[in-house]
Amino acid sequence: MPQKRPAVSGSSEVRVCLPAGVALHARPAGTLVRAAAAFTSEIFVSANGRRANAKSILDILSLGAEGGVELVIAASGDDAAEAADQLAVLVPALA
Amino acid sequence: MVAMVEGNGAVTLVLVSHSAQIASGLAEMAGQIAGPGVPIVAAGGAVDGSLGTDGGRVLDALRAAAKGAGAVVLVDLGSSVLSVRAALTELAPEEVERLSVADAPLVEGAIAAAVAASTGCTHAEAARAAEEARGVGKL
Repeated sequence: MPQKRPAVSGSSEVRVCLPAGVALHARPAGTLVRAAAAFTSEIFVSANGRRANAKSILDILSLGAEGGVELVIAASGDDAAEAADQLAVLVPALA
Repeated sequence: MVAMVEGNGAVTLVLVSHSAQIASGLAEMAGQIAGPGVPIVAAGGAVDGSLGTDGGRVLDALRAAAKGAGAVVLVDLGSSVLSVRAALTELAPEEVERLSVADAPLVEGAIAAAVAASTGCTHAEAARAAEEARGVGKL
């Protein structure tokens, strides 16, 4: 289960792990970016001490996040809670 | 060779390279990242398949892509740019309006444009996404 930490109004942060064996490369990265692009909120993904704009495929690919790594997903904006919730469900289901 | 992957109304990517293998390999890679909804046309190599550009193939690719949601065009170097410019002069104004040529690095630009196209953006927005690739660090 993703651990959720409520933050200030209009921002939301979740921590979720990539499935073992599913790195944030190619197809999974594209899936994440497409999902993030559906929200108006700013969304950032952090892993390995780096932070990437979730709506930029090149940024996400540069994270080099390997399978099993924990991602911190931070959204801020009108639909931040919804974005964080949805991505928290999506990430562990990436294949 | 002009290889077309059918899509569902998203902006098309046209990849113009001196190498047929670069164009088709990049089409495969961008298609995997962006998913099956983005049509990608690889227009690489000279008429006989050697290194070079084929103006006729580029024109055919642009004409085929200048329909529906239109297309973002990515080029590698030199005569790829010239052949796209030449093809644009052959097309009708309403076709040219449906095309955006991205001033962007080919590989990173194609990936960025393909993912942008998969979110349902316009061809101009896909070209902007490709051009943002110039400012994204790799390391």
